[in-house]
Amino acid sequence: MTVFLDALRYLAYILIFPGFIFCFLTGMLLCGIDRKLVARMQKRVGPPILQPFYDFFKLFGKETIVPAQANRTVFLLAPLVGLAAQVVLQLFIPVFSFSAFSGVADIIVVLYLLLIPALSVILGAASSGSPYAGVGLSREMVTILAVELPLVLVLLAVAKTVGNAMGTGLCFSLSRIVEYQVANGSLITKLSMLPAVAAMLLIIPGETGSHPFDAAEAETEICEGMLAEYSGAPLAVYKLSHSVKLLTMTSLFTALFLGGACRWVEKLLLGIYPAMAAGIAIVVEIIILFLICAVLVAVCVSLIHAVTARLRIEQLFKYYWTVVTGLAAVSVVLAWYGL
Amino acid sequence: MNHYPILAIMAYFLCAFLIVVFGKNRAVRNILGFIGTAAPLCLLIMLAEPVLFNGAIISYWMGNRAPVGGYAIGIALEVDALGLFFGLLIATAVFVAMIYSFSYMSHDDNEPQYYTLFLMLCGGVMGLVLSGDLFNMFIMVEILTFAAVALTAFRNKVFGALEAAFKYLVVGCIGSTCILAGTIMLYAQAHTLNFAQLAAFLPGNLNTATIIAYALLFIGFCTKAFLVPFHPLAADAHGAAPAPVSVLISGVLTKSGLYGIIRLTYILFRTMGLGTVQFWLVFLGSVSMFLCVTMALAQHDFKRLLAFHSISQIGYVLTAAGLATALGVSSGLYHAMNHTLFKGLLFLCAGAVLHETGTTDLGKLGGLSKKMPVTTVLFLIGAFSISGIPPFNGFASKWLIYQATYQKAVESGNIGFLLVTVVCLVTSTLTLASFVKVTQSVFFGQLPKEYENVKEVPFGMRLGMGILAFLCIVTGLFPGLVQRFLTGPASNAVFHANSYIDAMMGFGYAEKFGLADTLPVSFESVGVWSPISWLCLLLIMLFAITIVALTSKRDRISAADKKAQAANAVSGPSFLDGAPAANKYELFFGGEESTYSQVGGDDLFWGFKHNWRHYFSFMHDLHSGIVNDYSLWAVVALALAMLYAMIIL
Amino acid sequence: MILLNYIASFFLIVLGLYCIVVKYDLMKTVIGLSIMDYGVNLLIITVGFNPGGTAPIYSFGELRPESFFVDPIPQALTLTSIVIGACVTAMSLSLVIKLKEMYGTTDTHEIRRLRG
Repeated sequence: MTVFLDALRYLAYILIFPGFIFCFLTGMLLCGIDRKLVARMQKRVGPPILQPFYDFFKLFGKETIVPAQANRTVFLLAPLVGLAAQVVLQLFIPVFSFSAFSGVADIIVVLYLLLIPALSVILGAASSGSPYAGVGLSREMVTILAVELPLVLVLLAVAKTVGNAMGTGLCFSLSRIVEYQVANGSLITKLSMLPAVAAMLLIIPGETGSHPFDAAEAETEICEGMLAEYSGAPLAVYKLSHSVKLLTMTSLFTALFLGGACRWVEKLLLGIYPAMAAGIAIVVEIIILFLICAVLVAVCVSLIHAVTARLRIEQLFKYYWTVVTGLAAVSVVLAWYGL
Repeated sequence: MNHYPILAIMAYFLCAFLIVVFGKNRAVRNILGFIGTAAPLCLLIMLAEPVLFNGAIISYWMGNRAPVGGYAIGIALEVDALGLFFGLLIATAVFVAMIYSFSYMSHDDNEPQYYTLFLMLCGGVMGLVLSGDLFNMFIMVEILTFAAVALTAFRNKVFGALEAAFKYLVVGCIGSTCILAGTIMLYAQAHTLNFAQLAAFLPGNLNTATIIAYALLFIGFCTKAFLVPFHPLAADAHGAAPAPVSVLISGVLTKSGLYGIIRLTYILFRTMGLGTVQFWLVFLGSVSMFLCVTMALAQHDFKRLLAFHSISQIGYVLTAAGLATALGVSSGLYHAMNHTLFKGLLFLCAGAVLHETGTTDLGKLGGLSKKMPVTTVLFLIGAFSISGIPPFNGFASKWLIYQATYQKAVESGNIGFLLVTVVCLVTSTLTLASFVKVTQSVFFGQLPKEYENVKEVPFGMRLGMGILAFLCIVTGLFPGLVQRFLTGPASNAVFHANSYIDAMMGFGYAEKFGLADTLPVSFESVGVWSPISWLCLLLIMLFAITIVALTSKRDRISAADKKAQAANAVSGPSFLDGAPAANKYELFFGGEESTYSQVGGDDLFWGFKHNWRHYFSFMHDLHSGIVNDYSLWAVVALALAMLYAMIIL
Repeated sequence: MILLNYIASFFLIVLGLYCIVVKYDLMKTVIGLSIMDYGVNLLIITVGFNPGGTAPIYSFGELRPESFFVDPIPQALTLTSIVIGACVTAMSLSLVIKLKEMYGTTDTHEIRRLRG
């Protein structure tokens, strides 16, 4: 009986929270917020916040065209695998003290799991046979390369800082990193982590391919690059995948640097409603997470989008490997010497 | 059971000679080849139970000349867990390459000679790995170098084959001479060639001569592993050699070099000051790793690119094995095993492409996935493995290597090792980039007109590739089992020189020299990764998403397809005058016909290469292709190694 | 006297390496390899040499504690090494012949189609 209940519980994790349905709703909502904010910053009215949902269901109703050049299987399978990998990745990122599957993957694994959705887009694009997709995938790969180095340094800095504090030298487990923060306050308050926070804020738009770093999908020059040949349901899946990536990156940021954010809110709640607080803690945490994610999207996706122009791919690469990597490296060195 | 090792070695050589005599007949030749590679594999698998699981060490004295009075007179074979681990790798790779060869080489002339040389090479490597004697090792090195050179030049009409063979021969001989000189310098000091006796004698008697001997032997084995100053040879040789030989050279021959380095550093010279040697090994490994992956990015030949990647992965192994921690060595050995599997798979895929299309030029190929679906899937498995995409085996070992290097950094307080971790991680992404390039330019993209009639490769070749792909997945999904039964015992053997000495020279021999074992072997990894759970989650998720996707659109799409087809059937020929448009989607919007417009592999990573253009042009000029330059690198490396060795003593 | 042997053997090895690195002709490269090989052979023989020792040829029963002879193992090693050296020369010469046929030259600076 307990086995059955456990299975049911895990199925609920996978499908409802923090899995598929949560990702679907939150990701799409974040995407809508982003579009609305950018529009407001540019003095446009902008689409309604629910527009991504409408787009998604509209695309599902459209015809799916598979190009004659394409390898049909890969072309149609790639978006599905990408989305699945993206959602599964979300399962490993703890929501404050709640983590659905903590014993499966650590931060190095997360680093690599982040590659799989991008890789599936690349493979899908390659299999379409379009030259636009060819250009797009090459730029996407260079973007991945560019972002990877600073991201690695940020993760190592966090691992070292938490490891120092816990006395184990280094700590790779995401759930333990978050637990440490829940107990001892967020890492963002540490001096040594500030450059890493700045670097991570710049990594988020790069990973999600949003504006100044969207050379890979430049719709004005290479027709959305990798998505050039996609239409109908697969395109909808890709769009969804992209929205979930917004959620993943922002909640990864929360897990790495803002893990203690729920503490004072909960204290406040406990002060007001001591009896209810325990039961609604998880709901409150989800709301806090969503708010943080929305703010992060507003700051590092929408704001940067609104005020900058697209970088060329080699400028993008240079920017990440000099400025952002520099910031992250400063953080690593500071963490190394225990500041 | 004691006779198994010698039988395993003899099976290769015996079948090699039998093929010379009876090899005119194709069936006889294939049967002999099959027996010659399958028998050693079976023998070694039978040894796995006592040696790997129970920790026995098997010693075999040729002609039953056991040591007299503490002096090893006879020639010895020894099989400890380390040797057997490498032996199993080699036997597996060789067996698969042999199966593949049956179909692959059937169009070449001089087939008997090919199989003879092939088996000689296998025998040489197996002999080297199971040998317990330094001079025996040298002879095996010579045999395998010779066979490798001859096999490189085997298709001597192929572009560059002779040239590659000659360069390999010259630098390879410099390496072999180094090994011989090192051997004899050790003999002059210790008056023995037996490993166990040397391992007992050397720790207490290190002097300048023995340290220089170490440097000589080290450089000698570096040439066999194609580590950094010797990497151009590997690139040249792989490009010209037939694909199964590439598997041998990258998967098997390099392992012999690594085995030599590990054996020397950890068993013979274990008191040399591992801290300093370790820096050297890690430095060399990191340089190989990074330099070769960037060289690979600039290549436009499929096999040449793979060759550079091969050395890059060997760099990983050396880096990890050089850390002198239990986790480091065990993760290094794990990666060595994975390297054999995925690199073999990739070379066989390159061979399949060459077999069907006649070229390996990335600029000319494209769109083969529609014609060769099985090869494409197998290639993707190999590519994901080498790029370290979970849950394939490359990830499991690289993940351990990152931990090992970072843990080393934290333990030693040396920030340099942190840099090594970063280099490892970035190299892995660069590897992925260059395999995206291969995937895009060979298997996806547009199919050139001349390859319209390409077919899937024969069953024998698919079988060979399939075995390796299967092993790639299995070793990736069960890292715990691999560590427990394969790399764990092997790394244990690395750190327990005393039991090795006792097994060979009689119990209590090591104690007479007052030797203590170097390091306690226990490790725990700080990270968590359970591939099976991840895979289950992914499959459930994929299932759910697929169901959602299918239920909502299934009917509509088939109706749309039918409509489109009907529309084509009606309006097809008259769509444009004179243009026989079979499908309206083949036309771009402007009405022009779609032409071959593949994005060339060379231009693919312009954004990356542009920033590194000075580096790339410098490296291009450096790899001049002149044999004198490569020999000069060898001499410089030798000089540096000797200098370094003298300074650290 | 024995020191001279060591010096000569290292000189030969270095000379061989010099020849391989500096001479731009395939034939000379092969010669360099051989010279290096001879140097190592001389080194091996020198290592096993005992001043005043006799040849190590004894049958069963002849060997006594007081008999003084040179170390036989290096001599056996040298034999093997000489054989291998001859193989190297044969192999490389056959490659040189083929290279000459194909490229029409034996200049190493012309034989560099594989590079970069």
